[in-house]
Amino acid sequence: MEIKHTALAGTLESSDIQFTLSKGTGVEINLDSQVEKQFGNQIRKVITDLLADYGIENVNVRAVDKGALDCTIKARLIAAIQRATDTQNQPNWEVLG
Amino acid sequence: MERLRRTMMFVPGNNPAMIKDAGIYGADSIMFDLEDSVSLTEKDTARMMVFEALQNVDYGNSELVVRINGLDTEMGRADIFAMVKAGVQVIRLPKTETPDDVVETEKVIAEAEKFFGIENGRTHMMAAIESAGGVLNAPAIAKASDRLIGIALGAEDYVTMMKTRRYPDGAELSFARNMILHGARAAGIAAFDTVYSDVDNTEGFNHEVEIIHELGFDGKSVINPRQIPLVNAIYAPTDKEIRNAKDVLHAIEEAHKKGSGVISLRGKMVDKPVVARAERTMALAKASHLVDEEGNIYAK
Amino acid sequence: MEITTLDLKDFYYYEQWQSLVEKEGLVIENLDDITETLGIYEDDELIATGSYFENVLKYLAIEPDYQGGAVFNKLVSTLINELATQNIFHVFVFTKPQYKQSFEYLGFQIVAETSVSSLLETGDYSIDQYIAGLPKVAGKNISAIVMNANPFTLGHRYLVEQAAKASDYVYLFVVNQDASLFTTEERMDLIKQGTSDLENVKVVSGGQYMVSFVTFPSYFIKSRADIATYQTQLDAQVFKRVAKVLHITKRFVGSEPYSPTTEIYNQSLAKVLPPEVSLEVLDRQAVDQDIISATKVRSAIQNNDLTDVEKYVPETTFKFIKTNLPTLLRRIHDGN
Repeated sequence: MEIKHTALAGTLESSDIQFTLSKGTGVEINLDSQVEKQFGNQIRKVITDLLADYGIENVNVRAVDKGALDCTIKARLIAAIQRATDTQNQPNWEVLG
Repeated sequence: MERLRRTMMFVPGNNPAMIKDAGIYGADSIMFDLEDSVSLTEKDTARMMVFEALQNVDYGNSELVVRINGLDTEMGRADIFAMVKAGVQVIRLPKTETPDDVVETEKVIAEAEKFFGIENGRTHMMAAIESAGGVLNAPAIAKASDRLIGIALGAEDYVTMMKTRRYPDGAELSFARNMILHGARAAGIAAFDTVYSDVDNTEGFNHEVEIIHELGFDGKSVINPRQIPLVNAIYAPTDKEIRNAKDVLHAIEEAHKKGSGVISLRGKMVDKPVVARAERTMALAKASHLVDEEGNIYAK
Repeated sequence: MEITTLDLKDFYYYEQWQSLVEKEGLVIENLDDITETLGIYEDDELIATGSYFENVLKYLAIEPDYQGGAVFNKLVSTLINELATQNIFHVFVFTKPQYKQSFEYLGFQIVAETSVSSLLETGDYSIDQYIAGLPKVAGKNISAIVMNANPFTLGHRYLVEQAAKASDYVYLFVVNQDASLFTTEERMDLIKQGTSDLENVKVVSGGQYMVSFVTFPSYFIKSRADIATYQTQLDAQVFKRVAKVLHITKRFVGSEPYSPTTEIYNQSLAKVLPPEVSLEVLDRQAVDQDIISATKVRSAIQNNDLTDVEKYVPETTFKFIKTNLPTLLRRIHDGN
């Protein structure tokens, strides 16, 4: 799946995470998190796994984490992907299953 | 037995902090909102927030409800599919005007269940009534689908439409509350009262809960966790009610032992509604931590 | 807590907003420099506000009781989300150094800073990406010119020629700003055409970083007299950051007999750029003792006087103006 244009989802409020996805070459993740030391790798794994599920191979991911649960990370990233691919109201049930 | 629904806590669907903590306050039902509390530009991401939370966050024994956007919006259908897929217990339909609104929504729910290979009928519904037309149709709406577990009054839009506003004595809602309550009872489903938005006014809130408790509502919608213990306190049965309920249930046991079909207590016949009330009283007593598992009243 | 758009044309909201913004120590300048203003209310009290103009956040102010956390995060987050719905993802903020950390906590990164102000950015683009996208050259003697060239004149040409003679390579940064009579694209093309014979000149876009200072917000600097200095200092820091990566050691500017602001700007640059970058000020060129300036070219266009235009500009620019005269006159007429 191709990123069509830059898209943002999520907020900078407590327990949330904000994603900005833009066109790129390969998958590049720029993560900013207060819990980088303990959870940085786990957060990156959630992101890379989900991108792989969607078959997104070229994207710049900017993530600003404010202590989000894994399910919030997934939810915000899915929303950002849907926005960047113009599929907000056509969820990909194969991935979401 | 029917579950307790004293409190239904509203949780904005786009607020991860509140979604994360919604389970810790002991609400009987938690209603995640995709509709009015979510701005138009955030509808899609709120949908995914609730979708993920329903599948990953532990909400204990709370009943999980999602208020979707109506089918007259471009979000409605995607909301239903996502929530059915996530295994929500109850889909709450906003701004219900007619029985047809319920039927149309049910069709899409059934379609979603089929699409995902989920057992038909597993997803329950409730309908919020928020207009003059909806109030007049309440009895028909309440009977529009077997999936309905209850109907609810949404007073904010209703009072505006009625050219009034909320007042402390609740006179402006008297007709609507009675219609909804009668509609619900005639259909054998639950009746929920509207929210009370002045979170800091405990006295006003208690007064309103007393009114709806007296009328016979199953419970109240709450917008702040602080309102939950207040509702529970008013819905807690008295010692006398608990003793009476225990006696009724004891009489049933005795009758069963004797193999008798007729239940009597102190020389009077005990009929079905009395049994149901006794069961509800004991459930309320347990939920209020007034009795132990055996039904014995804790020493004060 | 409720967040809403504030209509500053409504005096009721303006008063609340003004009081909060002034309490923060900000000076209200021109409301035309605000695209939209958001407010956060607690009950009926305005407790926080923030605005934006294009992709720059402005006039952020929070009631003292609510500072330091959730309200600030909500405010900035909502502004960013609002901009995103307008497909604006790269966002800047100029702020006082004491708020730098609060923005960094929300993922903003420093572009440049001085003792009185910080410029930060966030989103899908950054100054590092801008620099990475510029052509790289090797040489001992690399210089730079930053110009708006609205349009490219013989005076600009002279400046570039002198720099080209004195350097191995010259980076020519074109200010990216469409408030000019000539669009950024047109200005860029005319510069490229007018310098095409100079092989060691690299014409590049100034992006959002080599800005002209009309957009610099001075509303958080109380002393009006110091504004030009502060602007230059911050600008010089941005320039130095770019210069360092590109090994630029000299910057050429033209003297400014007509514009006192630019003259102050040049003087400040001379103080701030060294030692990393030296500044060379060249006298402006004259035709028959008539100093060449883009302003004069624009007036000549307005007067429909092509003979006058021809005196000041190279052939390439003249050809463009001649061909597009009706369009340019219409732009002037429409107020550009």
